[in-house]
Amino acid sequence: MNFLLEGFFQAFNLLLSGNAETYSAIWATVKVSSYSIVNSLLIGIPLGFCLGYFDFKGKKPIRTIVDTLMALPTVFIGLIVYAFLTHRGPLGNFGLLFTLPGIAIGQTILALPIVIGLSATAVESMDKKLRIAILSMGANRRQLFLTSLWESRHGILAGSIAAYGRVMTEVGISMMVGGNIKWHTRTITTAIALETNKGQFGMGVALGLVLLAIAFCVNLSVSFLRRR
Amino acid sequence: MTLPIYEIRSLKHFYGGKTVLEVEHLIVQPAAIIGLIGPNGSGKSTLLRLLGLIERPGQGHILYNGQLVEPFSDEARFHITLLPQEPFLMKRSVFKNVSYGLKLRGNSGDIADRVNEALSLVGLSSKDFAQRPWYALSGGEAQRVALAARLALKPKVLLLDEPTASVDAGSAQLIKEATLRARRELGTTLIVASHDWQWLYEICDEILHLFKGRIFGSGRETIIFGPWQRLGTKKWGKILSDTQQLLVPPPPDPEAAAVFDILSVSQDRPTAAGKDVVLSGTVSRLSLERKTGRLFATILVGDFPFNVGLALQQGEEHTIFPGKTIFIRYRLDQIKWI
Repeated sequence: MNFLLEGFFQAFNLLLSGNAETYSAIWATVKVSSYSIVNSLLIGIPLGFCLGYFDFKGKKPIRTIVDTLMALPTVFIGLIVYAFLTHRGPLGNFGLLFTLPGIAIGQTILALPIVIGLSATAVESMDKKLRIAILSMGANRRQLFLTSLWESRHGILAGSIAAYGRVMTEVGISMMVGGNIKWHTRTITTAIALETNKGQFGMGVALGLVLLAIAFCVNLSVSFLRRR
Repeated sequence: MTLPIYEIRSLKHFYGGKTVLEVEHLIVQPAAIIGLIGPNGSGKSTLLRLLGLIERPGQGHILYNGQLVEPFSDEARFHITLLPQEPFLMKRSVFKNVSYGLKLRGNSGDIADRVNEALSLVGLSSKDFAQRPWYALSGGEAQRVALAARLALKPKVLLLDEPTASVDAGSAQLIKEATLRARRELGTTLIVASHDWQWLYEICDEILHLFKGRIFGSGRETIIFGPWQRLGTKKWGKILSDTQQLLVPPPPDPEAAAVFDILSVSQDRPTAAGKDVVLSGTVSRLSLERKTGRLFATILVGDFPFNVGLALQQGEEHTIFPGKTIFIRYRLDQIKWI
């Protein structure tokens, strides 16, 4: 067990001394997960709202597909995105393989079904009395839509956090699409995997602690927003 | 002739293929107070939702001020508002809940004043309540905030669905006062569904009885809804709150509604012969029907209001006045079932 304890001490040392390699992985993770979560929220929230709010033909099969995609394995997404971005693939000309935007594309695909599915659930579970309350105040269709969206914000926020957690902690896409290139596409999770293989527990634990700290900060800001 | 504020023509509404409301023709005059009485599931809330333009009728038309209207109609959506039975507040502060409708209407200048005024109408101090979040209110307070949000709009029509059903006595009184004040000061038309019959008979210009989705009579009849229970081997009826027995002949089904025909009222107990039933009650309202010059008395027997039309002479003869205890007589074989 000593090696774990030593790992913790080494972790604090690396973080406090501003170790460049550690901070490079942290920065890459923050950057790539921000890209992907912003994309998936911009696309996913409107789609999820429509899926939950409106009744239309084919809604149930679409819902089943979205729910299934919520469990997409990251290595499978990595494989597909790799196949598209490789120079032989249809998007090979864009030169996105082994870049952070390349990883962001894969992570957006990972987060999108989660954002859509959980937003749709949040909207579906909205109190039916809300519609009556909004309409009885004289809202038009646009005002009804926007107020309903705002009223389901807590559920949508929870879905977004779940998606962010999944994006930040995935390894498969970052490893396959990013290639785990030091100073460039190495993220916290790929670094942990590599350093553990090398027996460098200190850096692994340090990066793990950073992941926890980021998750804590995100949850803290969410609980602040929930009260508003 | 004044244009009716509402006119319903050949309206039918369905849920899951089943007809839940059927109104052939109904007119509501501006500034009237209309009461809706009926058991649960009789169509009161559905009628209010249709009049409130929350739902589109399955068949037929609703005219507001002579114009055909439906949900989102610009002609009516800023004039009509509905207070649902269960208060529903949006996830925001009391102030934002009350000002929501004003903002929808593009009001900006006097929002704070109107919110404060509406809150004080329902007995809530703006200082203590305006910034409270939606979850920090009791049931009665939430219902009063919901009503304040409607009153702030100064509506032409206020539809109330059991406004006092789930609140304490104090809140109920404040809600009643605030709605009547809206009618008095703004000329708001009130349509109220309530189980509080006494209150409805006190304030309403007209009472509509709803039963199984249809309107029966216009408040001049005495209609008492089931369930009826067996009182002994051959007798059916209800035990009233004052322990008297309200007897009826065997009903076609225990949930049926009975239409009573009151034969006489008197200050002394008459002798009950044959199929006569005599009950004592208290006069709760006395009004003059201008068209016929007759008196119209509402007599509370237990908790049930019995409506009786009287010639002016009869009123004088029996010195009938609100609060007086008198006796009513009806015959079992003259009760009709619906």
